[in-house]
Amino acid sequence: MSSRGLRSRQSSGVSRIRDDQITDLVSKLQLLIPQIRGGRSHKVSASKVLQETCNYIRSLHREVEDLSHRLSELLASTDIDNDQAAIIRSLLM
Amino acid sequence: MHLPHGTLKQEFVKKWIMGLQRCKFSNKNMSIFERKKAIKLSADTAMASARKGLTCWSRALISNPDRPVPTTTRRASSACKKIVKRSRRIRRTAKCGAARKGQITRSIAQCLVRKRTQILKSLIPGGEFMNEVCLIEETLDYITSLRVQVDVMRSLASASARASEPHN
Repeated sequence: MSSRGLRSRQSSGVSRIRDDQITDLVSKLQLLIPQIRGGRSHKVSASKVLQETCNYIRSLHREVEDLSHRLSELLASTDIDNDQAAIIRSLLM
Repeated sequence: MHLPHGTLKQEFVKKWIMGLQRCKFSNKNMSIFERKKAIKLSADTAMASARKGLTCWSRALISNPDRPVPTTTRRASSACKKIVKRSRRIRRTAKCGAARKGQITRSIAQCLVRKRTQILKSLIPGGEFMNEVCLIEETLDYITSLRVQVDVMRSLASASARASEPHN
């Protein structure tokens, strides 16, 4: 919905600013992704950054699933009362 | 918009513990699958609400926590294959000038970027409504939040595992 409006308003100046914005954001993304961050000072292609981003997000999702499963076994028998909640909070902070 | 890591972690822990307290784990009729779903739901809700409505992905996640995440998208990959096939045919038949090669490389790169952008949109909550700039900004924030979520869940899992070990 918003991209249609942006396209109709686009002049070369606006699209250049937008491209710079995107390049800047992609380089920030590159810094976050462990697979392509280490030791690489030269530029990685945008498509590679996107690919590794998707892989990384999928692996984080899988970890959350696995950890939820592990915790469902570990937290099986007891409800968490207020005292335990305070202990856990201080442990995790 | 971006919170420092420590503050984000504190917000997440606070909200997740609140959510976990509401889960009735002692209920014997609860299956392990239902427990897992409850834990994941409380973790996702805590992660999203820790952003206090400042990001699109967090609002989308709260309003639709059970969205199925597709593992692959097929449509974009077939378009990409057509372009690659076409470029191979051109290279085989014509005397390819450098300009032509550059054009083909650029269109393959653009195709890949488009395809992978589509996949990213399917991975970020609410992503299908975002333009490119918004998508990448949201992705940066989403990844940061996911890392905090994984970090805290892992800490709780190892602490619980240690606590349930028999003392020697």
